[in-house]
Amino acid sequence: MTGKNMIALQDISVQFKQRNESIQAVQHVDLTIAKGDIYGIIGYSGAGKSTLVRVINLLQKPSSGKVIFGTQDLGQLDAAGLRKARRKIGMIFQHFNLMKSRTVLGNVEYPLLGLKITKEARQQKALKLLELVGLKEYAAAYPKQLSGGQKQRVAIARALANDPEVLISDEATSALDPKTTKSILALLRQVNQKLGITIVLITHEMQVISSICHNVAVMDAGKIIERGPVTKIFARPQQKLTADFVETATNVKEALTRILKQNSVSERKLLIYLKFIGNTAQESIISSISRDFNLDINILFANIDQIDGVNIGYLIADFIGARSVILTVTEKLKAAGIAVKILDNAEGQVQL
Amino acid sequence: MANLIPNVLQMKAEFVQAIWETLYMTFAAAIVAAILGLLLGVALVVTQAGGILEDRLLYSLFDKVTNLLRSIPFIILLAVISPLTLFLVGTTVGTTASLVPLVIGIFPFYARQVQNALLDVDQGVIEAAQAMGSSPTEIIFRVYLREGLPDIIRVSTLTIISLIGLTTMAGAIGAGGLGDVAISIGYARFENDVTFAAMIIILIFVFTFQLIGDRLAKVFEH
Repeated sequence: MTGKNMIALQDISVQFKQRNESIQAVQHVDLTIAKGDIYGIIGYSGAGKSTLVRVINLLQKPSSGKVIFGTQDLGQLDAAGLRKARRKIGMIFQHFNLMKSRTVLGNVEYPLLGLKITKEARQQKALKLLELVGLKEYAAAYPKQLSGGQKQRVAIARALANDPEVLISDEATSALDPKTTKSILALLRQVNQKLGITIVLITHEMQVISSICHNVAVMDAGKIIERGPVTKIFARPQQKLTADFVETATNVKEALTRILKQNSVSERKLLIYLKFIGNTAQESIISSISRDFNLDINILFANIDQIDGVNIGYLIADFIGARSVILTVTEKLKAAGIAVKILDNAEGQVQL
Repeated sequence: MANLIPNVLQMKAEFVQAIWETLYMTFAAAIVAAILGLLLGVALVVTQAGGILEDRLLYSLFDKVTNLLRSIPFIILLAVISPLTLFLVGTTVGTTASLVPLVIGIFPFYARQVQNALLDVDQGVIEAAQAMGSSPTEIIFRVYLREGLPDIIRVSTLTIISLIGLTTMAGAIGAGGLGDVAISIGYARFENDVTFAAMIIILIFVFTFQLIGDRLAKVFEH
């Protein structure tokens, strides 16, 4: 373990006992999150990701395994010690979980109530945090009067009140519309960059991962099946489930379904899927091969995403010409570092 | 007026006395029952499965005691409880003596009502408070009782109304009150206007409490 680790989950398993049945929600998960990172955990509901993040602050006690927060082994702490450690781990939720009996200011003040500071100091701090999330003028309002996005901003301000080192986001944008999601994600990025807070974020949407995370782990049936830098996962997903998430996020999946339905089979035509990673996306490679090899290239779908600062381009096109020429071209493209897949729809279902 | 309520007019002093006794029994029993009921209600919520101080054994004990006490018909409880009353008050008859069975009769009911009110507090908010490092005591006072306050006021109103109902039976152990006036004078002497007047006064009490409770609950609802 290096000193730069913020969180280390070591061989974590969580079992739930329901009558005589025992459910393995999390199975032997090891996860290390570096200080200052934005780490995403993605999976469908029931994959165990919510349970796993609750292990970080021991809201969920693991059946086995160790939770190291900074240099502390949380499992070794007594109740008071654990409460103290929890103050350094902020958490936000899908349904915001604000107290409806307290004003916006009162909600942000809540985590500071037990501390030995004056009421004025407490209010000043809460107001400063409300200013950070852009809701200072709503201090006297009650949560009921706010929109979903505003509620989540209040929840973020509240989670920051104890100057945490880590912020856990449990599907924090899943109940929000796309535009509000973007603004909340922008706020989280700001929290990460300005305050240096490590963020652990769970979601079932790859767009959320691609827009703010640096690293990602994919969970399925209680296990992490794939993990790594987001750019790498997007560029070269190894597992089928990961590819599924990536292609849904980049709209490739939808486009492919549409194209395969309409495409006609022909001797002189090949349907090809290209994936450009990094700078290759910016070169005019398509027009140059079309010119050099005298090929007609009919572009059916194209998309470029910027993921963690790296461009990833997706292109689905019909290459029309002699088959041997097309195959030469694909070899040339592969040599240039472009992922190439020939989608022979004559074989029916195409697997990416 | 004299034709309509002939007996009531001659009994003004008795009515004033009975009203006083009913109010005394209601408020005195309500204060003690509120404390016991809140304690038991909170204990039921925090010790139940998934609660912040989960304890299956304690919960089962609290739960069974609550059910047992609630199962005893009040008119029987009045008699059965008399040794305890004698021990606590020094006598088994009279208005003050009736407070013991009234408290025992109503607080388990109130505890259940409080339990239900607190169970309606959003579990997510409790989880958030735990995540923020709140202790169980802090969660009880700063989250459960505060978030649940409008509902607690509502169930308190309901409980007070039930308690007024119980006080009318306390006449059986010489506690007096409006119920006693209605039965041992109005009913026993065929003075129907007395019974009717006692009922009207009780209804006025009930509606007043209901009105105050509803208003108060609204004040704390945001």
